[in-house]
Parts: sequence; structure tokens; C-alpha cells
Amino acid sequence: MADQIPVIELQHVDKHYGKLHVLRDINLSVHKGEVLVLIGPSGSGKSTLCRTINRLETIDSGQILIEGKELPQEGRELAQMRAEIGMVFQSFNLFAHKTILQNVTLGPIEVLKTPKNIAEAEAMELLDRVGVAEQAHKVPAQLSGGQQQRVAIARSLAMHPKAMLFDEPTSALDPEMINEVLEVMVELAREGMTMVVVTHEMNFARRVSNRVVFMADGQIVEEGTPDEFFDHPKSDRAKDFLDSIRGH
Amino acid sequence: MGYAELIAEYGDKYLHAIWETLSMTAVCFAVAMVLSILITVMRVSPIKPLRIVGDIYVQIFRNIPGVALLVIVAYALPNLKIALPWKTCVEVTVILLASAFGSENFMTGINAIGVGQIEAARSIGLTFGQTMMKVVIPQALRSAVLPMTNLLIATMLTTALGSQVPLNPQELTGLVSYITTRSTGAGIVPFVISALCYAGSAVLIGMVGNSIDKKVRIMR
Repeated sequence: MADQIPVIELQHVDKHYGKLHVLRDINLSVHKGEVLVLIGPSGSGKSTLCRTINRLETIDSGQILIEGKELPQEGRELAQMRAEIGMVFQSFNLFAHKTILQNVTLGPIEVLKTPKNIAEAEAMELLDRVGVAEQAHKVPAQLSGGQQQRVAIARSLAMHPKAMLFDEPTSALDPEMINEVLEVMVELAREGMTMVVVTHEMNFARRVSNRVVFMADGQIVEEGTPDEFFDHPKSDRAKDFLDSIRGH
Repeated sequence: MGYAELIAEYGDKYLHAIWETLSMTAVCFAVAMVLSILITVMRVSPIKPLRIVGDIYVQIFRNIPGVALLVIVAYALPNLKIALPWKTCVEVTVILLASAFGSENFMTGINAIGVGQIEAARSIGLTFGQTMMKVVIPQALRSAVLPMTNLLIATMLTTALGSQVPLNPQELTGLVSYITTRSTGAGIVPFVISALCYAGSAVLIGMVGNSIDKKVRIMR
């Protein structure tokens, strides 16, 4: 694994929002098939880090490489690169004026230039895989949050991405809907998808991730396997954080 | 002079006037819609000079009284060797005003979409142009139906600026002054007839707008 080119690599990434130093010298690489969980207190920069990977956030300095190539700055090349990295958002962000099926086929038809009938057949397969095929002709507002998020995952998968980014995918969901989304993600991980997941779901992190990265104040404080991190956190920040979310 | 006599004498002219008002309204509104889409795309584009030009356009034409703008177009532009026919002067004025307000309506529609859907579109690899054409503009158009209905009515009423230049045939407001200078006994009657034509058209436009809105409204 070590001699392979990482799918995603960040080198010395720095970012400020005005005076606030939100990312401090971030170095991170994600290899093919790896599931990396980013956790940390709110405001630690984990979501920002996730969003910089497909340049929804710009960076001040450093480098972001996708399969060894630097992320383009603007325009068509950047759009191309984004098409290769899937992104799932906290608030689903489905296209409100399109049906579920059209949400999934828009990217393949417009970006990959897949013929419409093929794109639709693929989309139906994906919708079936995430368990919302019966909803294909409804609009997003008619679906529950959990269903919408599964559609959002299918929409990303339709682009055949090299890696998927999940920015707190279950944080906006009612508790009873969290599992249906996590199940889809577990399935993806098993199939070998390269994933970066910002989440507070500790069980998910333990069950499926290869590596947990703990961030605080814009820095990576520590990283390790889930068992190392959850059972034997090294830093005080991580110990405090784990205590607080376990509700001791 | 009663309604019957007035209509007997000026009925033809009223029909021409209604046609003039409605056809000018249709032309002006159609051009204004195209212009306001262009200006709105400029205002949300990633290119700063375009955004600035778009914003300035709206600030200028939204904030000048129609009559003042007409005076500039009809009486100041000829000094720059741009002499337009009278009717074109009125139409240009109405289009400039309506497109500024139209762009504001679209901006409101775009703001309602929210940055999330735009980020989602970018994250599946759509370019700026594709994001506009496939995600932003269709939704902005659909959520702008009601404000645009109001703007269409306002556009119709603004064509009354035609009464300030010599048009032939005249539109509804111009005809009123034509009649009152000739038939001094007409009193308020010519005004009432024109007013009814305006109001009737406005009610119709409103009804059509409402039914379109019901069909295309986006569930949120």
C-alpha cells in the first residue's frame, strides 16, 4: 500500500477565514479502498477539510493531489476533477425541481454524456441498491430525510467516483433514519469504495473505518486505527472529546 | 357626452389603443425577460467585472423615474446622434425599467434555491454554465412566476409613457388626452374607459399567472 499513489493527498494545507486559522498545516493521505473517519469538536475544521478536497473551499497554501495530480484551480478541468470525487452533504441538497430519477441521471447525461436510456437504467439500478427505486418518479420534497440522503448517495455513485466524501451525512436526520443511511455506507465500504467521512457516529467509525483522524482547532491532533483511538486515545484533547460524546 | 356617444365617435380609436398598449406590453416584456436573464447570469457569474456591470445596470434603471428615462432616451440621445422612432423610445424605456426589476425577481428566486444545490451541482462536475442552465435558471423561472406576473402588469401600466410622445396610433393613456382636448364635454368618461381596459387586462394577466404558478410551483 505504501508505494501506491494515494487517491487523495493533502500536503501542508493552510486556510484562514479572515483572522481565524481554520486549517493548520494539514498532511493527510487516503489510499485506495481506505475508509477514513474525521472526527472532532464542532469548529475543529473537519467539515472544511472535507470540502477542500473537491475545492468547494479554496485553500491559502499547500497542495491537494488527486491520484498524484494537483487539483486544478478553476473551470472545466476542475469540474472534471469534481466529477471524479463524490460528495454527500449534511442537508442532502437534492435538486428540488427534478424527480428522484432525474436527480441521479443529471450528472451522467450532462457530464459523462451517457445516453439517456443507459443513464436511466443505471440510475434505477443504483436507486434499487439504496432501496428507493419505488420513489423514482417522485420529487425530493415527497421523501423522508433518510430516503433523500440515500438518493444523494446514488446521485454521487452514478458518476463512478474514485472516492466519496461524506460531510456529516447523518447529522440532519431523525434518529430512526440514521441507520438506513449508515447501512448503505457500510455496504459501500465493503465493496471497497475509498471514503472520507466526517461523522459523530462512533459505532460506524469502529465498524467500518480503517483509520480515525481526530481534529481540533484546525489541526490533526492524532490519528490511528479505530480501536487504538477509541480505547487508548493519546492526547488530552481526544480524551476530553471522547468523554463528552460518551456522556460521562 | 355619455359612454354611447363617446364609443360611437372614438370606438375605433379605442380598439387601436388597446391593441397598441397590449402589443407594446408583449414586446417590451418579452425583451425584458431575455435581458433580465442575461443580467442575472452576469450578477451571479464568477467574473467580478460582469457582476459589477450587472449590479450597476439594475441600480441605475431601477432607480430612475420612467418619465425621466423617457426624456433621456427621446430627447437627449438625439444629441449623441442616436435618434430613435417615438415608439421605439417608449419601448426602450419600458424595457430598461422592466429588465432591472425582472433581474431582481430572478435574484430572489436564485437566493431561494440556496447554495447547497449549487454546491451539489458543482460536486457532480457540472460547469458554471451547466449549473445555471440545468439547476439554477429552471428553478428561478418557476419561483419567479408570481413576481413576474406583477411585473407584466407593471410593464403594461408603464407603456402609458407613450402618452408623453407623439404616437400614431396612440395607446390607451395617450388616447385619453387626445379625446379630452377635442371633446371638452367628455368629462371623466374617457378616463374611465381606459381605466377599465387596463384593469380588465390586469385581472386577466393575474389569473393566467396564478394558474401557471400552481402548475409549476416547486415543492419544498
